[in-house]
Amino acid sequence: MMTTRSVTVARTADIKAGELAAFEVEGVRIAVANANGRFFAIDDTCTHEQCSLTEEGTLDGTVVTCGCHGAQFDVTTGQVLAPPAFEPVKAYPLRVEQGAVVIEI
Amino acid sequence: MPPGFVIIGASLAGGVAAATLRQDGFDGDVVLIGAEAQPPYERPPLSKQYLRGEAPFEKALVRPAGFYEQNRIETRFNTRATRVDPIRRTVALDTGSPVHYDKLLIASGVRNRRPPIPGLDLPGVFDLRSVSDADALRSRIVSGRKAAVVGMGFIGCEVAASLRQKGVEVVSVDPSPTPLFRVLGADVGRVMAAVHQDHGVQAVFGDVVTRFEGGAGVERVITRSGRRFDCDFAVVGVGVEPVIDFVAGSGIDTAHGVPVDEYCRTAFEDVYAAGDVANHYHPIFRKRMRVEHWQNAMQQGAAAARSMLGKRQPYDAIHWFWSDQYDVNLQYAGFHHEWDQMVVRGRLDDRRFLAFYLNQGRVDAVVGLNRGKDIRRAMALIKSRDVVDPRQLADEDIDLRSLAQTQITGDQK
Repeated sequence: MMTTRSVTVARTADIKAGELAAFEVEGVRIAVANANGRFFAIDDTCTHEQCSLTEEGTLDGTVVTCGCHGAQFDVTTGQVLAPPAFEPVKAYPLRVEQGAVVIEI
Repeated sequence: MPPGFVIIGASLAGGVAAATLRQDGFDGDVVLIGAEAQPPYERPPLSKQYLRGEAPFEKALVRPAGFYEQNRIETRFNTRATRVDPIRRTVALDTGSPVHYDKLLIASGVRNRRPPIPGLDLPGVFDLRSVSDADALRSRIVSGRKAAVVGMGFIGCEVAASLRQKGVEVVSVDPSPTPLFRVLGADVGRVMAAVHQDHGVQAVFGDVVTRFEGGAGVERVITRSGRRFDCDFAVVGVGVEPVIDFVAGSGIDTAHGVPVDEYCRTAFEDVYAAGDVANHYHPIFRKRMRVEHWQNAMQQGAAAARSMLGKRQPYDAIHWFWSDQYDVNLQYAGFHHEWDQMVVRGRLDDRRFLAFYLNQGRVDAVVGLNRGKDIRRAMALIKSRDVVDPRQLADEDIDLRSLAQTQITGDQK
């Protein structure tokens, strides 16, 4: 059985609204999105050509657009919204506890 | 009887159109006619990941192979449209009887130009458009072999890069002063020339291949100035032309492709066009343009399908494309042919910059190297048609999003 554990990756104040920040958690690069005050965590690596969504991408509401080739993902679910990617990115449960961003991985 | 829609071209535009018709609830017959053997697929990987053997063909399919049958889309692959009769509303085919349509979408794309160069038909002289072209070329890629790339437009550049990445020795010949000269101009072109030279391409400019020579297969190319380059194979990428032969004489206009309005309609109310073949009126740039890129094929295919279903949404996407060459991610947004001013943000020599193409103070287009994020940010500015201060455009400290004063949303005309 898979077990998850909670990892605190940042303070909410460290991630500006409309921006993404990447964190290395147990060997996985995870992007935390601040979608106008709501926080979400997804894999940082675009499933199309492995670009970093944090470094290359732009966040518009809850949609992240990869800057390399324009693939779009829903940061709330990881689902593909626009090609050329067709595989989703993994989404991670996230909670905010006393100003800390906590991801379950 | 429900209406029947026919799509000529099992292309990206045609495949997306067929899928969109079903997705948006169209219940009538849909017939998808394609000259190639395969279901619709995307062509960008053919010069890159697929050519290098890094990605399977299935990854390029527009929809999984079973999609068309599952969605009652009748496919006629290996079939060419030979004539359209917009009065009787029929499409004649090279195999079988004509098909009737209530609405027709022309998404026949483009074909490669075949310049009259002696020896062009020698074995080992390739061009690249279809997956079978890519397969033929791929079978010749062996490290240490020598290839001649004729023409350094986007296809030539991407093929040259892929060949170098696979260890093939490459000489390229192009009549312009730089690669991508016609589209991007000399300043950006010089940067791309240096990129290719740094990766070992022997890049020759200002010269033209006038002959392919060889016995059982091509062995060398000869140029106008008398240069001779030995090669094991050659790849020709010297431009394309719209596939409109089957439309000629039908009464449907064929000026620079198939002219359509912002709803993808021709002058015949039941005939539409989308993708590379469509010379479409762009309501933001207020002129006609024909665009031969992935994003346009996909989005215009969907837009045409929605127009066929009676939805009045103008197609006004800001055109955009990318070209990956080695470690360079080149992106372009907008539309331009000429420019009265070019403004650079960043430094060309750093290979990380944006170059804006302006006319009368407005940004018509932008090209960027390794600046995809900023290309996205520049799109709103292009869409706004606002006059900008070139100094702000060049200033790295000014967010491009702040330069668009007029906010135009996708839903507005």
